[in-house]
Order: sequence, then structure tokens, then C-alpha cells
Amino acid sequence: LGEARDPADAVFGALSDPTRRALLASIAEHPAITATELASHLPISRQAVVKHLGTLTDAGLLERAAAGREVRYRVTPAPLSDAVSWMAEVGGQWDERLAALARTFGPAARAPRARRGEPVARGASGRTRERQRGEMPK
Amino acid sequence: MSERVMREVLLPASVQDVWEAVTSDGWLADEVRLDLRPGGDAYFRLASGVKTGWLEEVTVAADRARLAFWWSHEGEPASRVELSLEERHDAVRLRIVETRPLELLDLVGVPLPGVSGPSFGPALLAA
Repeated sequence: LGEARDPADAVFGALSDPTRRALLASIAEHPAITATELASHLPISRQAVVKHLGTLTDAGLLERAAAGREVRYRVTPAPLSDAVSWMAEVGGQWDERLAALARTFGPAARAPRARRGEPVARGASGRTRERQRGEMPK
Repeated sequence: MSERVMREVLLPASVQDVWEAVTSDGWLADEVRLDLRPGGDAYFRLASGVKTGWLEEVTVAADRARLAFWWSHEGEPASRVELSLEERHDAVRLRIVETRPLELLDLVGVPLPGVSGPSFGPALLAA
């Protein structure tokens, strides 16, 4: 399984950068967007955008489709939405259990502090609502 | 690294009291049966159905305790839960980490070492 770690590391490596998370969120909001269009929304050059998109694509998070001279990008839908829904569901269950424990051990207990250990949680959370509104490409 | 949910709470209680609460019926699941030793079986009856699994680590001391187990609904990928209790002055810090490593490997197209069941836990940890 030694080589099995590399693809997972690629995903988290890709998501560890705030600019790439912002790009991923933008692409999720605007499917089939081009690097030029993305660069016009962000304070970075088109060249830098293209480099980040390459990293995200290599990690399996984006799909590319040639459209004339441009390349259009979409978020690869299934993997991330599955990860996001799992974390939302499991997180909600632990919140309920912790609230019950806090009631058991009295009012002095502090409210549960929600913490997400991995960048994927923060980076992906903004997209959950969009999926629930059914705006994501399938 | 893997998909991960982490929660932390401070409870004004003893390690023993919190340990009792988190391993009793009604907290992890409506019905909880744990063979409290490493490798022991775990059974959970929840509103969503039955989860089964096995215990990876059981450590109980006066000022700290740790329970790590794998659980899954039948036919679904297992996740690993780690409950850590640590005495902090007059309170107990309870930290919960649930991770689902297999889904992550699956999503990036890595062949899984097992189809279902607890057998893939150790294989994954050894990776």
C-alpha cells in the first residue's frame, strides 16, 4: 500500500492551498469556466491560475474539456460531494452526542467546540449548500 | 491523511464518569455492546440500523482513557473512531476523531485492500 498514499496526498496537497480552495469554489459555482475568466475574478495572474488548475486536475478534483482554444474546467462531482456529505452527517451526529453529554454533566459544561482537523473540511464546506440547492453539475 | 471529523469538549466530571457515560447504552448508539479489549468485537444498534466493528485500542487509567474502534453498517466502508479522555484540573477533556480513510482512497481510484468488514482496518494502518 506504500504507493497508495500518493493520490491521497495529492488531494490534500491540492486542497492545502487557500488560492486553490478559492479556485475550486469558484469553479463549483461557475461550471465550465476558463482560466482566463477565473483570473479576471482573482488577484493573481492567468499563468498562476493555470498552474493551480494543473495541480487540482492532477489530484483528480477537476475535469478539463477543450472548447475551441480554451480549456473549460468543472469540479469532479462525486468524490468531493461524498466526502462533504459524510463529514456533515457524521459531524452532526457527534454534535448531538456531545450536547447530550453536556446535559448529563451539568450547566457548567462548555458548549461543544466544532473543529475540523483537515483543510478539506473547511475548503469543502462552502459547497455543501450549493449541492443542496442542486446547482452542482452531475 | 484522510477524511476527518474532530470534536472536543470539556466536561466537569471525572474520567471514570465520562468513560462510563460514553461506553454505555444510549450514547454511541441506542444499544452498545463492547468487548473491551484490543481486537474485541463491537456492536451498535442505532436508529439507522446496526453497526458492527472491532476495538483497536482500550486504555483506562485514573487520569486518562482512550477507546479506538472501527465501525460500519453492513456493506458500507468502515470508519475509525477515537475517543480520548484526559483529566484537566477539575474537568475532563473529551476529544473525538472519526476518520474514513477508505473513502478517500476510493475516491482517488486506489484499489482497496478489502471489500468490506474490519479486515481492511489493520491493512490500512500498516500502510
